[in-house]
Amino acid sequence: MNFVPNFRGFFVLLLLVFMFTWVGFVVFPWLELGHLPPIQEEGSTDITPWDSSGAAHAGERVYAANGCAYCHTQQVRAATSGADIIRGWGTAKDEDGKEVTRRSYPRDYIWQGQTFLGNSRNGADLSNVAARFSDAAGLYSYLYDPYVLNPHSSMPAYHFLFVTRKVSGLPSRDALVLSAKDAPPAGYEIVPTAEAQSLVAYLLSLKKGYHLKPDEAGIPYLPPSTKS
Amino acid sequence: MATLFPTTVAPRGFVSTDPELAAVDASVRWPVLVCFLTAVHWMVVGTFLLVYASSLTHPQDSFPILGWFIDLSNNFSMFTYGRVWPAAIDALVYGWASTAGLGLAVWLLARMSREPVCAPAALMTAVVFWNLGVAIGLTGIFLGDSTGVELLEFPAYASWVLWLAYALFALWAVATYLGRRPGHDHIAQAWVLVALFAFPWLYATGSILLGSGHPLPGSGVVQEVIGAWYVHGIYTLWLAPLGLGLLYYLIPKVSGISIRYGSKAKIAFWTWLIFAPWTAVHDLVGGPFPAETVTIGLILSGLIFIPVALIGMGLISTAFAAEERQGHHGGVVFPFLVLAAVAFVLAGLSEQLLSIRSANELLRFTMFRECNCFLWVYGFFSFVVFGSIYYIVPRLLDFGWRSSVLVRIHYYTSLYGILLVIAMLGFGGVMQGNILENTDTHVTIVTATDVAVSFHIAATMCISLIAIGNGVFALHLGWMLIDWLRLRVRGNRLAAEILLEPYEGDASKPSSEEVAA
Repeated sequence: MNFVPNFRGFFVLLLLVFMFTWVGFVVFPWLELGHLPPIQEEGSTDITPWDSSGAAHAGERVYAANGCAYCHTQQVRAATSGADIIRGWGTAKDEDGKEVTRRSYPRDYIWQGQTFLGNSRNGADLSNVAARFSDAAGLYSYLYDPYVLNPHSSMPAYHFLFVTRKVSGLPSRDALVLSAKDAPPAGYEIVPTAEAQSLVAYLLSLKKGYHLKPDEAGIPYLPPSTKS
Repeated sequence: MATLFPTTVAPRGFVSTDPELAAVDASVRWPVLVCFLTAVHWMVVGTFLLVYASSLTHPQDSFPILGWFIDLSNNFSMFTYGRVWPAAIDALVYGWASTAGLGLAVWLLARMSREPVCAPAALMTAVVFWNLGVAIGLTGIFLGDSTGVELLEFPAYASWVLWLAYALFALWAVATYLGRRPGHDHIAQAWVLVALFAFPWLYATGSILLGSGHPLPGSGVVQEVIGAWYVHGIYTLWLAPLGLGLLYYLIPKVSGISIRYGSKAKIAFWTWLIFAPWTAVHDLVGGPFPAETVTIGLILSGLIFIPVALIGMGLISTAFAAEERQGHHGGVVFPFLVLAAVAFVLAGLSEQLLSIRSANELLRFTMFRECNCFLWVYGFFSFVVFGSIYYIVPRLLDFGWRSSVLVRIHYYTSLYGILLVIAMLGFGGVMQGNILENTDTHVTIVTATDVAVSFHIAATMCISLIAIGNGVFALHLGWMLIDWLRLRVRGNRLAAEILLEPYEGDASKPSSEEVAA
């Protein structure tokens, strides 16, 4: 079978075929979504969404290095495609304490250095995890031993993100409050490492308690330049 | 027609009767052999890591050694699930499948060019550096330098080594292709060339834009689109073309009859290249992406049934025709190749299923995705590599496999292991999806985890079965090499002893006169 009669012709055709998907998945999305600015209301200096703290950005690396994204997603699909909203993963409270329940939009992710949308839900969705954990202490003890809060959890315990150390002087403000099973020996305390602190700062930055106003077309992700 | 399935025939006598091919095989002996050996090593490592990672998802008291595993994962960061799982998958994709794939590409390109290859030392250097890159990358993941991007976890310092190795390899491949003797072009060559061309494109885009640890600022969800394209590109533009190239070459070669529906092969080739990469959109459905892109992608990826049907029909009907003519499937190579062709069709069907929007919504975040990954890497590609290694290594060494019983054990453990793991993850995915997408507000993630756990346990058991098969295969390859080395070192006295060893269950064993002749 004389399949490759002319290498140059074959190569050019191959190039075109590859270009087709490459443009579709790399160039086109970049042009459409690569430069989304935050929304700024006229006459206001507030922007939505707002950037998270430096500690939260450092936490992205810990999240990546320990592979959280292999079991947790960070995306809430629309009510028309999946039950994410029904599971309560799209719900967070805004500044006034009012509940905001909505799907995720591309603009929600513009401040994240690296996005972790994820493809597996062995664990819960984390788009609004900060709405379910009120403070760092709760997250610390969950990371230290998920079984205490949820005996059915298949999440590993992250003892290695914490250190057990002798209490000298006053106990640490961040020391974990643990059940008898996990409690350290008397005179010792378990405190989070710097890695755990940034990871928790990152997790606490994950909430989408704000509205993204749809533009005229009803599509909240279009950049302003395309607004009529 | 015993010579059609020569691998079970005798310990020696594999050198092709065609002196040209024999010279070609001899010229690539060491690079290809090193590729295969290191690949098999990564396969064993990857499968072991996979069993370990998979068992971590079980309830703590489900089997005795698990408590120890879990203590390990709780207290040492390098043994945590989120590092071992990606390390296992990367060891299998880059260490096992890709390294073996490089070896297959070398062998096929050399054979097709019908000239002894130039610069085998350069090739060898490339292979060594490739393995070094994989080793550095896996170490990086364990030490916590993973980028956290699926299939691009290797930290940037490992990517550079892989790049260097691949560049050297590609130079060699281009030189070999251009230096071929004209008039022997075959569709297998086209498939392999596509793979060799696609990999640097994919890996450049992926590792530069995503794998550097510093994604483009402000790119947001674009990263996820590129990531999905990369993952599915590795399956559909790198592994699938390499595997199909080998199938298109070996199935006619081993069976002695030409590919059925050969005229459709060309259409299948181009439609595959156009539609298959769009399966990437399966990871985007419902997410924060422009709806029209997803819809167009689903339509294009849904058309994947055209190439899958054409390729599957061609390869599988050739296999049936061969069996009809021979009356038995014969040999050790053929069953693996046929199974690979069947796994290709199954993988295509699973992609087809995911391109249906409602099915995708149900299965999107479940273990069905692992099922899909296993179908490509373990089901389809591994079986191509197994069959090819069983065919190629005797020809490189002029020395036979040591035991048909071990081959059979390997075949059946792999066959049942992979079929069961696919069934478990596939069915488990549907069950898990039914809970996750349940419209009852009282259903929580805990319910879904409870359902998923039993399927995870079943999957671990099936992966252990695959691991046993893989271990047997690795030991068999080692045994063969040791006997071959003994033969080379100690010469004829031993030769007589090895050559006359009877082969159990070998229907087409020649008489000793034939061997002597």
